[in-house]
Amino acid sequence: MSITHPAPAPAPGLQAWLTADVTTSPRQASLQRFYYGWRRLRGNPTAMIALGALAALVAVAALAPVIAPGGYDDQDLAARLLPPSLMHPFGTDDLGRDILARLAWGARITLMIATLVAVIVAPVGLLVGTTAGYFGGWVDAVLMRINDIFLSFPSLILALGFVAALGPGIRNAIIAIALTAWPPIARLARAETLTVRNADYIAAVRIQGGSALRIITRHIVPMCLPSVIVRITLNMAGIILTAAGLGFLGLGAQPPMPEWGSMLSAGRSHLTGAWWLSTVPGLAILATSLAFNLLGDGLRDVLDPRSE
Amino acid sequence: MARGILGAARQAGSVLVTLAGLLALTFFMGRMLPTDPVLAIIGQQADQAAYDMVHHQLGLDRPLPVQFALYVRAMLTGDFGDALFTGHRVAADLSRAFPATIELASLAILIGVGLGVPLGVLAAVYRGTLFDHATRVIGLVGYSSPTFWLGLMGLILFYSTLGWVGGPGRLDVGFIDSIEPHTGLLLVDALWDGDPDVFWNAVSHIVLPASILGYASMAYISRMTRSFMLEQLAQEYIVAARIKGMSRWAVIRRHAFRNILVQLVTVVALAYAFLLEGAVLTETVFAWPGFGRYLTAGLLAGDMNAVLACVLIVGVIFIGLNLLTDRLYRVLDPRTR
Amino acid sequence: MSPRLPLAILLLLLQAPASRAATPRDALVMAWNLDALITLDPAQIGEVNGNDIILGNVCTPLVNYDPQDISRIVPAAAESWSTSADGLTLTFKLRGDLKFPDGRAATAGDAAWSMQRAVLLGYGNSANLTQWGFTKDRIAEQIRATDDRTVVVTMDKPYPASLILSAAFASNVAVILDREAATKGAKVVDGKSDLGNAAFKTGPVCVGPYRVTRWDANDVVVLERNDGFFGQKPNMRRIIIRHVPESSAERLLLEKGDIDVARLLTTDDLKALEANKDVRIEQTVVQGMSYIAINTVDPILSNAKVREAFRYLIDYDGLARSILPYQGTPRASLIPEGAFGALDRAAGQPFKLDLDRAKQLLTEAGYPNGFTKKLILSANSISPNIAQHVASNAAKVGVTLELEQMADANLFTRGRNREFELQLVAWYAGYPDADANTFRHAVNPDKRPEAKLTMYPVWRTGWQDLSINEQAAAARMEPDPAKRAAMYREIQEFMMHNGPFVYIYQNIRPIAVRSAVKGFVISPFFVDYGSASK
Repeated sequence: MSITHPAPAPAPGLQAWLTADVTTSPRQASLQRFYYGWRRLRGNPTAMIALGALAALVAVAALAPVIAPGGYDDQDLAARLLPPSLMHPFGTDDLGRDILARLAWGARITLMIATLVAVIVAPVGLLVGTTAGYFGGWVDAVLMRINDIFLSFPSLILALGFVAALGPGIRNAIIAIALTAWPPIARLARAETLTVRNADYIAAVRIQGGSALRIITRHIVPMCLPSVIVRITLNMAGIILTAAGLGFLGLGAQPPMPEWGSMLSAGRSHLTGAWWLSTVPGLAILATSLAFNLLGDGLRDVLDPRSE
Repeated sequence: MARGILGAARQAGSVLVTLAGLLALTFFMGRMLPTDPVLAIIGQQADQAAYDMVHHQLGLDRPLPVQFALYVRAMLTGDFGDALFTGHRVAADLSRAFPATIELASLAILIGVGLGVPLGVLAAVYRGTLFDHATRVIGLVGYSSPTFWLGLMGLILFYSTLGWVGGPGRLDVGFIDSIEPHTGLLLVDALWDGDPDVFWNAVSHIVLPASILGYASMAYISRMTRSFMLEQLAQEYIVAARIKGMSRWAVIRRHAFRNILVQLVTVVALAYAFLLEGAVLTETVFAWPGFGRYLTAGLLAGDMNAVLACVLIVGVIFIGLNLLTDRLYRVLDPRTR
Repeated sequence: MSPRLPLAILLLLLQAPASRAATPRDALVMAWNLDALITLDPAQIGEVNGNDIILGNVCTPLVNYDPQDISRIVPAAAESWSTSADGLTLTFKLRGDLKFPDGRAATAGDAAWSMQRAVLLGYGNSANLTQWGFTKDRIAEQIRATDDRTVVVTMDKPYPASLILSAAFASNVAVILDREAATKGAKVVDGKSDLGNAAFKTGPVCVGPYRVTRWDANDVVVLERNDGFFGQKPNMRRIIIRHVPESSAERLLLEKGDIDVARLLTTDDLKALEANKDVRIEQTVVQGMSYIAINTVDPILSNAKVREAFRYLIDYDGLARSILPYQGTPRASLIPEGAFGALDRAAGQPFKLDLDRAKQLLTEAGYPNGFTKKLILSANSISPNIAQHVASNAAKVGVTLELEQMADANLFTRGRNREFELQLVAWYAGYPDADANTFRHAVNPDKRPEAKLTMYPVWRTGWQDLSINEQAAAARMEPDPAKRAAMYREIQEFMMHNGPFVYIYQNIRPIAVRSAVKGFVISPFFVDYGSASK
């Protein structure tokens, strides 16, 4: 339970507007909530570290041409499998390419994967789950059966189908994987919805004339967000690794793309000899996943209406 | 009573409809994929005449809906056909592959739940402390590390260097004829036959892959448990109960934990179902002849008989588990009725 | 449940565990990736695993390649043979002590029937016979048994005996199957008997040193010794082949002594094992070639100069030092080393990385700024590295190669359907004679798409040269070995510069064996399980 502090001394301009006790418009109220949420997030050191790490990732991705002007496919058969050194901080791979360079260029692909996952999985899962949980009855039955079909459907077939239809490449593979990753989110959201749909405050909104859409989006979805966010951030690493595993089928990034997952897979046959081939991208994936997870936990704390 | 039967019938009906939809989707999607199963059968040197012959033998020259109907009819009589990519009957293959995965998955989920739930609860209670962060990082390493890496590192350390566990495969090679496949679950069969040698040998081979899979599940389960617990601990009734004089752990045990059971069950059931679907990479590294590899290999070979049977099994598992958890919801949490 | 059951179980569990890890004394344990194994019927086997297990180990063919020199033919199930004066009749005299696993005598009738069966079933292997003029409707007269020990083969052309023995009668179609067992287990499919194909899929009944006693898909294959075998008695009573699809796992098993032989190993693992005193590496250069196939139907790729430019984009020497060890040896000729008529190592690989030359050829062809094409490849082994290497060099002369990895099954399908621009793939010659690859990689009887000669890799590229067709036909029939070799030299020179295939390397098959295993005879066409002893 939180203890309300006395109002701080009035600050000038924007600050004052954002911290005013009495709001004069809905927009001001929402912006205030956003501002307070941001302040809460700022007070969470681990979340800030995570945010910093992710900002660094974005920076590396943007600055790849600066970090590695030679590109990611600068082969040199005479310099293959070199261990980390001053000239090659992360060593070279089995075609003599600098791994740091490939890591930097690969950051872009990692960000794309993360974005696609978040953009596809969360909305679809939340929508299906909350709708099913709220309406119950045959809506629930139909949606859950569709959910079950997507759950049971081997993502590999979908990925193969996408590739056959749209061509190979990492983007199509991720879309395919994401399309089979939303069902668990939906079930999670549905479980949460079932526990809150009969609550008093929901009934209150209904009496006031709130439509189902409004109830779902304004009141139920926020309750589901915390666990969904945690789940999705966990998903990121899992999906990167799944895509890496599909690489050998031609469903991941095509060579010579420096996608971290496929770099990891390619290093599999050198695990004991040239360990840096797999370990470096593996650590990068782990660090990214950790950052997303920490941020997710932080966001969760901020967004959870129950922890005001 | 009548309503109960009607409800059950309706549910059975919806399950069948789902399974049928799943199979149809898989079938049509599969037939449209570029992989040609005929090639594997006839070999690279075969001419067009051989191709046409086998193409006809497999019934691939008939219209798709007819092929599907024939398949379903055969399936309903228990005939799952021949697996083209293994040369054996699909039913025979699955009677060995699926128990192998059940054994692995069940042991893994026990580890995952046994470690994950307590750790998650503790992480929530001691939120923000070193313990919380430590469990998070350790868990995430397990979840984000590629299984083949964990598997190979585990084998190098525990099998090659220390010799504590058995190597890849379900049993030592000397035991391959010593066991009667009653259930296909080696641990159970060994007990059934009263053979401690086989039992302990099977244990030594399963402990490492199960631990790795369990480790990955544990990470996920503990994170979700922590999240659910945090939601509960922020509620007012917690404070109320403490004011009334309940000890902290009594509150957690009797109230907070009870309230997260529904969501926890969802999460664990899903985790188990995913494990049952088979962990392809773990099975590859540990030479475990399981379901995941079977499904993947069948798909890559364009073997629709094998794939459809596998999808059917996976469908039954997921649908079954979801129905079961729905039932459990009503038992565990009155708010969901 | 009896109350004593839990106690019994508990007592059981508390007993000291025993381990039977180190391989049994009387069994050779081999680990391999058996994913490709789909049948053990000799008439149908079309992949490496099946061939390795069945040919010579489970079913002995009429004749064999001498393991020390694969261009020589030695007797196996047949003790002698003779050719008629006109060269049209080949007569085999079978040994008198041929027995099936159950002890019954095997006769020439079984032998002839087995060969007829291969042709009648019509799978890929039947090409071993049908390409020599044996057909389904005449096979019963063309190959027949005249008595219990004599098989008479009647050909319609006087093929050189050494050629046809090598091409047909040392392979899986020329084994001796148990006709009775096959007929008993035969099923009727579409109104025709399957000649025991379904029954033999899980293990043929034939004359050979071992028989298949168990095959659990994706798990294990077990062979047991046949005591009535006519030849050298196999040393190991059992051969256990475990399916272990991960190279590092096989290496760990081998180091620990839990297996005797490891077949699937990457370069990294092989290098590590070289240093291990308990293990030796046997490398065999096999009759397989890895190459880039160019689809000459494509307007740009139909230009011969463009195709020649590709030859200069490959750093053969660089690859030999870096990626190829344990996997292959550089070669640009369509005939693999070791086959009769093959160019020697130096003549067989005259190319060097020469970007200037490549650029010049492209400019002469009319593409000074290059072009973009797709290269499809397998995701296995060193293919991705080879492809990236070629693509990187191609980029330097303006040619952009977009790579597309896929599963092997897809790769072969696309190839057969002519749905590719460039394809990185491998091909194994059926027998160690220049004729084998000449008639698959050089001769194209009919280049039209409707002809569907899908078993000719050269047809898949749409390339055809009628004079090469004639030269090959003449070389095939030439009785004088020296003249024959010279004709093949000419063909190889021509194909090296003009053909649709850019050969990169000849495949090597590395096998890691524990030092305790002695006498293991490994040759390009035959891994002799029975010769191993511990």
